[in-house]
Amino acid sequence: MTAKSNLEHILAFGQFAVTGELGPPKNGDMEVVRKKARILKGHVDAVNITDCQTAIVRMSSLTAGLIALSEGVEPVMQMTCRDRNRIAIQAEALGASALGIKNLLCLTGDHQKFGNHPQSKGVFDMDSIQLLTMMSQMRNERRFQCGEEIKGPAPSFFLGAAANPFADPFEFRPKRLAKKVAAGAKFVQTQIIYNVDKFAKFMEMVRDLGLDEKVYILAGVTPPKSLGMARYMKNYVPGLDVTDEVIARMRDAKDQKQEGIQIAVDIIRQVREIPGVKGVHIMAIEWEEAVPEIVKLAGLGPRPESQGVEPRLVSKEAIELAVSGAVEQTRASAAQEMEKIKKELQVSTELLAKEKDRAAQRIAVLEKELQEAREMVAEKKSETAILVAELNEAKNLLKNAAAALAAAPVQAQLAGSGAAPAPQIVASGQEAVLSPREQMALNALKQGLSALRKAMNLTEDQFEAIRQFLEAQFVLYLGAPMSVQTAQSIAQPVSAAVMPAPQPVAESLQAAPCVTAEPQKPLEKIETAVAASKSAAGPATGPAAGPVKGLPPCPEGLTPEEWRNKWIIRLVAKASVCLQRGDGAGAKTIFEQVLAIDPQNLRAKSGLEQISKGLTPKPVETVKEVVQEASKAVFEPQPQKAEPVPAPVLEPVKEVVKPEALVQKIEEKKAEPHRPAPVVQAAVQSLPKETVSLADRAGQVSKDMFLEQCSASVRPVTIGDGPKAITVGGANTLPFHLFEGDMPYPPKVAFDVLDVQPDDWPDVLSRHYSDVFADSAKWAQKCVKEYGAEAICLSLVSTDPNGMNRPAADAVKTVKSVLDAVDVPLVLWGCGNAEKDTETLREVTSHLEGRRVCIAPLTDANYRSLGATALGMNLPVVAATPIDVNLAKQLNILLENLGLPLENVLMDPSIGAVGYGMEYTYSVMERIRLAALTQQDAKLAVPFICNIGREVWKAKETKIPSSDSLGDQERRGILMEAITASALLLAGGDLLIMRHPMAVELTNVLIQGMM
Amino acid sequence: MIIAERKPLNEIMDMLQGVSRLLVLGCRGCVAICSAGGDKEVGILASAIRLGCKNHGLSMEIDTDTYIRQCDPEYLEPLKELGGRYDAVLSMACGVGVNFVADRCENVRVLPALNTSFYGANLSSGEWKEMCAGCGACVLHLTGGLCPVARCAKRLSNGPCGGSVGGRCEIDPEVSCVWFAIHARMQKMGKADDLMNIMPIRDWRTAGHGGPRSRKREDLLS
Amino acid sequence: MSNNIIAFCCNYTLSVSEQALKQGGLISEGVTIRPLPCTGRLEIKDLLDAFVSGAKGVVVVGCEKDACHNLKGSVRAEKRVKHVKGILKELGMSADLIEMYFAPRKGSEPLVMAVEEMSQRIKG
Repeated sequence: MTAKSNLEHILAFGQFAVTGELGPPKNGDMEVVRKKARILKGHVDAVNITDCQTAIVRMSSLTAGLIALSEGVEPVMQMTCRDRNRIAIQAEALGASALGIKNLLCLTGDHQKFGNHPQSKGVFDMDSIQLLTMMSQMRNERRFQCGEEIKGPAPSFFLGAAANPFADPFEFRPKRLAKKVAAGAKFVQTQIIYNVDKFAKFMEMVRDLGLDEKVYILAGVTPPKSLGMARYMKNYVPGLDVTDEVIARMRDAKDQKQEGIQIAVDIIRQVREIPGVKGVHIMAIEWEEAVPEIVKLAGLGPRPESQGVEPRLVSKEAIELAVSGAVEQTRASAAQEMEKIKKELQVSTELLAKEKDRAAQRIAVLEKELQEAREMVAEKKSETAILVAELNEAKNLLKNAAAALAAAPVQAQLAGSGAAPAPQIVASGQEAVLSPREQMALNALKQGLSALRKAMNLTEDQFEAIRQFLEAQFVLYLGAPMSVQTAQSIAQPVSAAVMPAPQPVAESLQAAPCVTAEPQKPLEKIETAVAASKSAAGPATGPAAGPVKGLPPCPEGLTPEEWRNKWIIRLVAKASVCLQRGDGAGAKTIFEQVLAIDPQNLRAKSGLEQISKGLTPKPVETVKEVVQEASKAVFEPQPQKAEPVPAPVLEPVKEVVKPEALVQKIEEKKAEPHRPAPVVQAAVQSLPKETVSLADRAGQVSKDMFLEQCSASVRPVTIGDGPKAITVGGANTLPFHLFEGDMPYPPKVAFDVLDVQPDDWPDVLSRHYSDVFADSAKWAQKCVKEYGAEAICLSLVSTDPNGMNRPAADAVKTVKSVLDAVDVPLVLWGCGNAEKDTETLREVTSHLEGRRVCIAPLTDANYRSLGATALGMNLPVVAATPIDVNLAKQLNILLENLGLPLENVLMDPSIGAVGYGMEYTYSVMERIRLAALTQQDAKLAVPFICNIGREVWKAKETKIPSSDSLGDQERRGILMEAITASALLLAGGDLLIMRHPMAVELTNVLIQGMM
Repeated sequence: MIIAERKPLNEIMDMLQGVSRLLVLGCRGCVAICSAGGDKEVGILASAIRLGCKNHGLSMEIDTDTYIRQCDPEYLEPLKELGGRYDAVLSMACGVGVNFVADRCENVRVLPALNTSFYGANLSSGEWKEMCAGCGACVLHLTGGLCPVARCAKRLSNGPCGGSVGGRCEIDPEVSCVWFAIHARMQKMGKADDLMNIMPIRDWRTAGHGGPRSRKREDLLS
Repeated sequence: MSNNIIAFCCNYTLSVSEQALKQGGLISEGVTIRPLPCTGRLEIKDLLDAFVSGAKGVVVVGCEKDACHNLKGSVRAEKRVKHVKGILKELGMSADLIEMYFAPRKGSEPLVMAVEEMSQRIKG
């Protein structure tokens, strides 16, 4: 056994190792290697000598390594399998060993395609792992690869390997490292790290496999020399993960080189904290001068004295002979250099003295400031103490109320625990019986609150009081149909109300009854409980200022003035909630009450003004209400049908039945529809509804014979922002099985808008949009204004590299114009080429200005990059897979692993038009939905998005002109699209993307009829 | 099957210099299936050569024929006799056919019309991809049925290199990373842990590095 | 005959006979019209053989892309014309000596114009 290498020594002693990298020259100049070695000497423990990296011909790693060694720098010789077969590799190993090289890094090697001889034959007799096996065998068994014994000294290298934590598949990376360790690797240098989080995850998996105990891991670090280099590495080097942050830092830096060094230093500091990292490998590519500074700034210098780094005698003599002249020359220049440095030293010593004086002065000033600051802090502290005392009072009140609440029988029943001591517990008990929808609302509330807390800089106590108050509010809302919007709208007035001081729950409860009209009984009980708690607290002492009209007696512990203000705030909040729920009259009464107490109240005034102008927000209709309405069976003649618009769609063909007549035919047996027609031109009438309940129709058959309750629900997903946002999904039953469960959000239809004039649309479709083809924004506007589109799908077909291949910048322009033109939710559908979509959608999403658009399609090829983008910007996405249950699930799992919540995912299961594999689509969608609902497969409980228009309008049937045998072309296309839509709705489609306005109208009527 | 591709016409015209009687001979084996050397392609090539000759004012008598296979002795029997009547036989078979004609028919000057490309599969009409390297030591049972020898740019045996990104190979985004696919497939089959076994250094003799390969089956020998 | 042109067309793109066109002076004597049931029927060899048989230029007139009676016949013909262009280039000839044209149904004008254009190309 030969002596250990310096690197091995350092690592074995548990010291944090530093290695560097030295790229040999593309010529025969020994000086280049010597120069680089001198720069690195003393700053690193060993230096990697690359073996024709990126497959470019350079001085061989063995010779360059020997030159470095002659400079007193320990080489880590790299050996790739690209250029040598096992005979050549073993021969090199024997030579290297003989000449004193002790570290060997075993690599497969970059593919020759990347180098300057792409025509060459790649040898690849073995891979890096097999190379390690061979070298270990030479070392441990003293045998050649063929098994023959090595008689005499055998190479005994400290064997190293490379690991790339950023290549795919990520979960296999640690395992591959394990294979290298098993094959004999003693140390490992990683790929360049910029994404420290991902590296930390990798290391966690490495530790789970126990590898950190078996191999020394050196983290790879490279200072980016310029923004261009950073960008190049990000975009063109496979398996390198350069974060946007690094790019941004380089872009914004005044001195890019200095920033690059700082980035490397920061990364070293971070990776050093990760357990299992035993050193760093600094690869300053063609920038060796940066290494000393990085080592110094990172606090890694000076390096320990190196041990046993000296060339073998043979080579020393040879080199001395060859370079004696050069040595002389170097000496001369070194002496010169010395002189210069001495002078500089003198100057800087003087400078330093001056600087010291100035610093002393500055310190004196700072100390004075510090004293002042301390005094201020003391003052603030006493103020805080007062505030805390106030808060404690508020909390006591809160507890009393909660106890009373807990005592109320209904509460006990709901919470499942009789003696809930604190409101927090009541609320959490409540959570246990919350439906997913309510749970979601509560979560939204909680999230909103923590945002609020941050935004308002509330203290822990203040925040806690608000949170408890809101949870109590939330409890009151249970039983009443509640949507996310209402939950958020509650948060708004309340947060305003709480600003001056936290409000006790018991009091706020009084505000509730008017807000929640429906669950009367529990509320009454709670009210009684509240009253009881109050009377228990003792009769109210009359306020000194005398009773004010409409103001309840002032409770203990508050001044009348405080009480008056609180009461007003509470009333305003109450009114706002009424407004939000569409109860204008209720709001008006309450606002008037406010004015009675405080005639100057601005919020009440503006509220009243709003109501009188009729600006009451549209009530949030719940499904139950709709159903009730539907079952009233009050059939009114359709009001808007004054002038039936002659269906323009079907004009060109004489004998065609007009759509009204068509639909009428279907509904002949039924009475007039009772709901007004949709916003679109009233060419299609709504469908009649079944008014007799299923139970009645079933007669004597017992319910469990035909009802099948599902135990899970599909996640609701919201797209868009503001009042026009749409939510789909949320069903806890099979599509339209309203007798078995609830479908809180009806399916929606989005209009397909292209970013370029379509060239394959049949005239019967394109003539509806031909006036707006030139401008996607106008097109989208037309869909919204004329056809009442509730959502738009902007298909970025022109970006397709196989087509027009328009750049991402064009897409950005289009998207921006559409976003400016319409306020309905937007789905951005890429061209379907995974790489191009990544590029386009990434670019586009950085220009959304906070709009919550949905991006599509994410496939197994680009979900990582696009998923990360969506995750960062909290955007909903479409996960697109080929028609297959498992693939769909797999992609959802992958997205979730990425950290993307499934609440932001829609599934595109790949659909076909009727006659084009629709039955396959149907079956797969049905199986997915059944798995989600009946088998609680949470990974599949995601709404479906179906891109119908695209599939239908490319079918032959929509393109063949009108003829006697096949009928009118337009009618055929409309029906094909609408029928495809109807089938996919029944399969579980939640968001449909369609093209023909008439088909959309038919579909919307169908949806309304089924709900 | 064997995938082949027609050589550039100028290369073919060059090799036909001085030929005045030519037989363009197709093969109904692999090359017919991959649309490189079947009846249709024989017709096209013959017409193209005629046109080429016409352009240069050359006169060449061109006959066409297509054999069931050019790699079986019985089908080549007629050529022994017939081939002598031509100055050259332009074989549209794979390299095997050309060799076999040269081996069997002493008096025939045989020329290759195709470049034999690889062993591949028909992805869709007009598209073929390499799937097997004919290395003579199949490891597909260890790799989920996907071949790292034919389909990995570095012929890796022990998992994907650091250039595997998003299921694509670093040498070309058009090329998929077979090791990524192997891992995904093994994982799906619950056998991902099998990939932890180190595949030993290969014996490339079976891949032709031990000299030309042959095979015998005693019971069938006459 | 300097401008020997062979024009392939389908049932739908030409309703008049070659004879009638020649009598009307719409096409010159050197032009041969070969009607087919559908241009999708054309093979690469047919197009090459047209040149071999002495044509200086070849035109193929098929239905408009979205109005082919057999839906995709003319699109197929277009692909084959493209392939032949490649072979012409390999042989050192101009790829412009063969062209695909798409014409509306019934009417001889597009074919006449196609032939005229080709004869201009041949004259160069």
